[in-house]
Amino acid sequence: MAHYLETRGIPTTQISLIKEHTQKIQPPRAIWVSFALGRPLGLPGNRGFQLQVIEAALALLEAPKGPVLADFPHDVPEHTPPSEDSLDLPACPISFAGPVTHATEMEKLLAAFRQEMAEFRSWYDIGLEKRGYSAVIYFSPDAVLQVLSDFLSGNPLTLEENMSSPASALRFAAQDLKSIYFESVMFRPDMVLTDDAAFTRWFWQKTAAGAILRAVKEKCSASDDKALKMTGDMLLVPLDQA
Amino acid sequence: MARLDTMPEPMRSHLAELPCPTFDTRPWVSGPPLSRRRVAIISTAGVHRRGDRPFEGMTGDFRVIPHTCTAKDLVMTHISTNFDRTGFQQDWNVVFPLDRIRELAFDSTIGSVANFHYSFMGAADPAVMETAAEKLAGLLTGDRVDAALLVPV
Repeated sequence: MAHYLETRGIPTTQISLIKEHTQKIQPPRAIWVSFALGRPLGLPGNRGFQLQVIEAALALLEAPKGPVLADFPHDVPEHTPPSEDSLDLPACPISFAGPVTHATEMEKLLAAFRQEMAEFRSWYDIGLEKRGYSAVIYFSPDAVLQVLSDFLSGNPLTLEENMSSPASALRFAAQDLKSIYFESVMFRPDMVLTDDAAFTRWFWQKTAAGAILRAVKEKCSASDDKALKMTGDMLLVPLDQA
Repeated sequence: MARLDTMPEPMRSHLAELPCPTFDTRPWVSGPPLSRRRVAIISTAGVHRRGDRPFEGMTGDFRVIPHTCTAKDLVMTHISTNFDRTGFQQDWNVVFPLDRIRELAFDSTIGSVANFHYSFMGAADPAVMETAAEKLAGLLTGDRVDAALLVPV
């Protein structure tokens, strides 16, 4: 994009997250940062740090010639991820380590999910009231429960007009489910995120919601519908949690 | 950490094997001092106004984000599930730093903030990105932008 814009007369500068990609593409100006994917400015809630990153990127606009790839000199503070057992977050009491194959197991899982969601949604509602907005886009807690339960139970999905397909609906429902849980964790007084990846580890390893999304992934991947299969194969569970 | 050499598999191989375009030319456009530049953010995080169309595929389409947008107005529908969204949920500036750009204009580090900013979903085919860039260049020129800040996710 930078190459194309610069060719058309627009000066560009950019933040780079994967240095190896930037070294291959050689855009006119880039500042490489060592931060996690999803956090190009480094630290949420840290205005001073974010300004340092932006100013480092903008300063390259005054470089005399290029291409120029500079290293941002600071990493975000490192946390040592705790062992799984010491995660300071509650876990769903039922283990869903293996794939859910029997109908009775699915019923148990759905019941655990409903119970877990009932607990978390109070905190989600409190957070929503306090902040005044949410990252949830299309599916309220009730709607998430409904669409995922219907899909896993083999019932037809009832979709709003703004959903282009069942595959899109499941993808957005999965995203909204994670947002609901994260915003609940943000406001619960008994849950401490020890590092940036703590939520992801907890969600996928310890919750009924994570097990539900794995079950949805399995069912989508086994589908004859191309869009559902692609969604199951690629878009519901992160590569490192599959 | 976004360091390929320390990233766990299978993400490391997935990212290492992504095709990257290469170019025979090295375009370079200079401009006035930073304190006189007009800055626009170009994000590839798949963010957009809450009521706007979601991102559905890697077709090089983009969304317009007016300078008046605030944290509560912006949502993310990037299709990838392989990056962490919790930073964005805590503080939109960690992905789309419009508040920070406004502050830099306020203290005259930059000249001004563009009226319009733009968001793509990254990883689209370079050929479709070139077509999009052509449209985008016209929009940025019309907005008198002479500093495009590209922010990945």
